[in-house]
Amino acid sequence: MATDDLTLVKRVRDGDQRAFKLLVERYQRKVYAVALGMLKDKEEAMDVSQEAFVKVYKYLDHFKGDASFYTWLYRITVNICIDIIRKRAGAGGEAVEFDETMPMDVSEANIGALGSRLGTNPQKSALRRELAEKIQEALAAVPEKHRAILLLREVEGMSYEDLSRTLDIPKGTVMSRLFHARAKVQKILSQYLELDEAKSGVGSE
Amino acid sequence: MAGNPACERFIPLLSPYIDGEISPTERVNIERHLSACKACTGRAADLRAESGLLRVGLDMAVDEVDFKDFTQKVMARVTPEKPPLLERLRLSLSEMFLYQRTAMVSSLATAAVLMLVAVPLLLGSRAPTGYAGERMTVQAVRTYEPAKVAPVVMETDNGSTIIWLVDQDSHSHGASPALGGGDEAQSDELEMEEAPLGNVPQKTLPAKKDDPAPKGGSL
Repeated sequence: MATDDLTLVKRVRDGDQRAFKLLVERYQRKVYAVALGMLKDKEEAMDVSQEAFVKVYKYLDHFKGDASFYTWLYRITVNICIDIIRKRAGAGGEAVEFDETMPMDVSEANIGALGSRLGTNPQKSALRRELAEKIQEALAAVPEKHRAILLLREVEGMSYEDLSRTLDIPKGTVMSRLFHARAKVQKILSQYLELDEAKSGVGSE
Repeated sequence: MAGNPACERFIPLLSPYIDGEISPTERVNIERHLSACKACTGRAADLRAESGLLRVGLDMAVDEVDFKDFTQKVMARVTPEKPPLLERLRLSLSEMFLYQRTAMVSSLATAAVLMLVAVPLLLGSRAPTGYAGERMTVQAVRTYEPAKVAPVVMETDNGSTIIWLVDQDSHSHGASPALGGGDEAQSDELEMEEAPLGNVPQKTLPAKKDDPAPKGGSL
């Protein structure tokens, strides 16, 4: 079976470069997915992913074995992304503000539409595909910290406990940010859905 | 539709519910509500669909990428072929700022305070005032060859030093100008027949005071 992370980390510390290669191979896709979800830009996401691994390697001595390796890796990844996003914002780029006290209007008119149109069938229906392509745009509308939580949850399937540890926030905050992030993404996806319905005249079945 | 007032309480719980991050009791409550509330059932289904979409969407995006040389690129960067020292320094500094910002800021603050304290101290020790500057230590006593002056160095009990400048040809000088200190000196330093010019510690040429090192006030 696959060697667990901590054993590999230990080997890397003992100078085994191959062990690090295994760690990179294990996480590269997910790290890239998180970076892409955060930044939307493919090239930047690729750079960040590499950067994250390089940093992990460099600071491996600072890694305390009491946390899991991947929470640490993702924390570094997310931090690099947030830094880039802030720089962009400083350069007049996007800066999404989010007011958590605002009541959420969870597209009340369309409740269940997403679920019923897509079903639970994981098949890549045309609609699913189309919506999936919109995902990154929808994500971009979510403030970066909420985005990070949503991504780590969906990409890595992190528990709330791990999310709280990775991002250094209380579990309650994890829960509420996740809720708000989902509501936001849902709203945008529903808008696409409505557009789509209007276009194809599908209406409510 | 959204008429059920209980929904308000349950809506925020639906997200942790689909994540399986909810206590067993809450779970029972939610499921009881769901069985009675079509709207919330729809909401939960939406959340699940969204979650699935996110995964599929990101998966699709990642599938487009060729990771063949990803590992190689990373490994090439971590296997030392070290960049020049300055570059490394710059990198690690900027990284420290990234990851240990608080620590950096506080240590910078400490450094600033230290500077505030140390600089005046250092400056102070650089310029001791008067002969009696307590921190003065003699490092070297020299005279210029043609000066015909010989230094006499004396240590007192408490460790301080008195330096006499003795003019070697000073028989003719009569020595009256330096009477006060001179008398004492003569009694102390009988081997020296020449009359001392006076107790002029520190007037010797390069009698440097001590310690440019940042020790601050001590000795």
